[in-house]
Amino acid sequence: MSDRVKIFLLLLPAMTIIVVLFFGGLGIGLMRSFNYMPVIGLTEPDLSAYVSVFTDREFYLSFLLTFHIAFTSTVISSILAIGAALLLRRSFVGRGIVNFLFQLNLTVPHLVGAIGMLYLFSQSGSFARLAHEFGMIQRPSDFPALVFDPYAIGIILQYVWKEIPFIGVIVLANMQSIGEDYESVARSLGASKWQTFRFVLLPLIFPGVLSASVMVFAFTFGAYEIPAILGANFPAALPVLAYRKYTDVDLAARPEAMAMAIIIALLSAVMIYFYVRYSRRRIRG
Amino acid sequence: MQETRRMRSFRILTGAVLITWLVLPLIPLAIWSFAKGWFYPDLLPRNWSLRAWEYALSDTAGVIDSLWLTIWISLAATALSILVGVPAGRALGMYKFRGKEIVELMILAPTIVPGIAVVLGIHSVFISMGLNNSVTGVILVHLIPTLPYMVLVMAGIFANYDPAYEAQARSLGASPLKTFWYVTLPAIRPGIIVGGLFAFLVSWSQYILTLLIGGGRVETLPLLLFNFATAGRNDITGAIGMIYILPGIVILLLTAKHLSGRSGAVGGFGQI
Amino acid sequence: MTHVSIKDLTKVYPGATDPSLDRLSLEIPSGELTALLGPSGCGKTTTMKMIAGLLEPTSGDVAFDGRSVLNDKPENRGVVMVFQNYLLFPYMSVADNVGFGLKMRKIPAAEIKRRVGDMLDLVKLPDLGNRKPSALSGGQQQRVALARALIVQPNVLLLDEPLSNLDAHLRFEMRDLIRSLQQDMGITTIFVTHDQEEAVVLADRVALILDGKMKQYDTPDMFYKRPVDEATARFFGGHNFIQGVSDGRMFDSALGRLVLPDGATTGPGKLTFRPENVRIWHNETSGQNTLSATINDIIYLGTQTRLKLLVGETPIEAVVNPNEIERFTTGDSLPIHLPKSTLWVIA
Repeated sequence: MSDRVKIFLLLLPAMTIIVVLFFGGLGIGLMRSFNYMPVIGLTEPDLSAYVSVFTDREFYLSFLLTFHIAFTSTVISSILAIGAALLLRRSFVGRGIVNFLFQLNLTVPHLVGAIGMLYLFSQSGSFARLAHEFGMIQRPSDFPALVFDPYAIGIILQYVWKEIPFIGVIVLANMQSIGEDYESVARSLGASKWQTFRFVLLPLIFPGVLSASVMVFAFTFGAYEIPAILGANFPAALPVLAYRKYTDVDLAARPEAMAMAIIIALLSAVMIYFYVRYSRRRIRG
Repeated sequence: MQETRRMRSFRILTGAVLITWLVLPLIPLAIWSFAKGWFYPDLLPRNWSLRAWEYALSDTAGVIDSLWLTIWISLAATALSILVGVPAGRALGMYKFRGKEIVELMILAPTIVPGIAVVLGIHSVFISMGLNNSVTGVILVHLIPTLPYMVLVMAGIFANYDPAYEAQARSLGASPLKTFWYVTLPAIRPGIIVGGLFAFLVSWSQYILTLLIGGGRVETLPLLLFNFATAGRNDITGAIGMIYILPGIVILLLTAKHLSGRSGAVGGFGQI
Repeated sequence: MTHVSIKDLTKVYPGATDPSLDRLSLEIPSGELTALLGPSGCGKTTTMKMIAGLLEPTSGDVAFDGRSVLNDKPENRGVVMVFQNYLLFPYMSVADNVGFGLKMRKIPAAEIKRRVGDMLDLVKLPDLGNRKPSALSGGQQQRVALARALIVQPNVLLLDEPLSNLDAHLRFEMRDLIRSLQQDMGITTIFVTHDQEEAVVLADRVALILDGKMKQYDTPDMFYKRPVDEATARFFGGHNFIQGVSDGRMFDSALGRLVLPDGATTGPGKLTFRPENVRIWHNETSGQNTLSATINDIIYLGTQTRLKLLVGETPIEAVVNPNEIERFTTGDSLPIHLPKSTLWVIA
């Protein structure tokens, strides 16, 4: 058997599944967003779904909110994850248990984190009770709205909670494979601790940080259950809005839902471009 | 490098704050599961009870059924991902070929594109195929996040794998099947196990894919958890939440040392 | 010009019981090129990192011109370390790498550019400033690493295995470059190596460290002529160690009575002589320190031939010119001569 045939056969089952399910799903979504579905008699593609999406104020509010959630969460998580990795990279007493606790929430689904955040930050949650204990508030409504709030603070807190270890573990592995010698060189060439971080360590870990952040951005832009639990009703995050449109009793809203799905997919495509650009070597193993 | 005492205390303090923050959201969940009413402004419940746990573990509540269903779906999705992902990982990890970059991109895309972007289209097709509202449909749609992940992990494993061992086995008289069984499999087994465990967790944590394709009929644990949480049954939510995170913690204990390394396995956590 | 004093320098890593470096003391005269020689894991790199301030000693002191520098931060010590694998910053151009230290000192960009240009000329890489390090050969990378270190005009230059990653033909070129730059700039230079040849070829003086302790600190030739003990002699390729007793003038052993050079130690000890100093005796009459040996094995090494000999029951090794023993085969006996000046007694 020639190598080409072998490679083809090895890839065939996996690629079939991915092409049919993933790209098929995308393709069907794309067709339906253009109201094009010959099987059910829709043979004249049009832009009506996009027109109604782009003329709807709620869509813009929703898009901005979702972008704000994804961007803010990603930036804060990345910065804190770098800090956490700096803290954890050295050996110290009890490192094993600290590492375990650091990685603990990697395996805890976002949904659980979202519920935990709800119990911590709602107006009758643990922090409100603590505030009451210290005499800072009287009634629950005195506590600032951190969940179901217009700035999506609860959602961002949840993502920051969840993504610090995710980015942190990647950055930590990155730092370990780089080692400390580059920094030693910089120190001995006269760089201060800050200069060493700024001009040596940061550029070295940057590709790793960026590819991890890109994954986080795409995820936080497209996740449904977290804003569904912690978000305000209006404006809702884009995935929540898309789901609502899709399950609307009015079937005419479905192409709009598909159009929103395509918009999320397009944004992800931009993310994939950045990911591939900055982690070309990493994908190849 | 030398470290002053002030810096050391700063390091310990920030480390403590960080770890506390990372564990914090799980604490009210755990407390709620043992609380019998826990009203504002009590810092801790006045009365403790095992009621929520009794309910969750009873035969009638459906939590146990949902647990088995979730395990079955995740196991099936994992097994299929391994079966299909290992050969594809071998092709990507060991060979160079024309169009490889395209294939890599096609496999990478589902790990980054959110489920909501593809599941709406799939749903309308599954309806016509009768796969909607079915466990089979849910298992299939779970392959979208799990399979690419498994392929990428295995590609990493095979990239560091030396096929000369296989040639050596063949030259010593082993058949292709025996070579796979006695040479290839033992070499890639750790990768399959770690990748498989994380693929299991990826499937285990799916919400929107299950919700849409299962149409609410295939009620996995996260769906149940979501429903109880939005219904305000905090005590039962706490108990289900604890049950739901258990496999992840066990898997983390089993694989902790693989995470500290440079393995591509970590990437899967982006989707959990 | 900096005189480096190392006093009782000791490093015990946390969790280890044995010290990685045990009370090392060294005086390195200003402007000299000194090698720290020892097998891997003997504490050489640890010593360098402590001199550079990248690692804190457990005890002991490092002083420059009589002033302790232990409390100086690494960036203020004036010590630059060049690592074995060069560690050029991969995301910077060659010119940015070389100019790194100047940029950290906030020197104006125009001056950095000029000095980087001069430095690249000095290491004979004038046109490569815009390349990325990954586009350079190993030898070129080493030159860049050297340029990056020298541009900040350090008081002390530390080199980690400077020749060991280079091909044989590049080693002498690099040796000459390092020596000439070091001499011109008068920088006190310390390098570590596990390769005795590298130490001998490059250094003014060699400090041999075995098992975390310094064995001998001397000019290179003395390790061949006057090793302090058997381990030192063996590290430098010594083979012949004959138990016996010295009275200061003569050595009594299984080889008989041999005449010693002046200044030999007295008492029981080991006689040592290098295989390459064993001569085949061509005169008819026996002279001073001549012995009769039987050839046990002949190992042809190309430009040399190694002989395994037996003198009575005592095995000794000799390295001779191949054509000297053309007419001998295994089992033959031949007269050998051990010149008095090549003998040495160790305790």
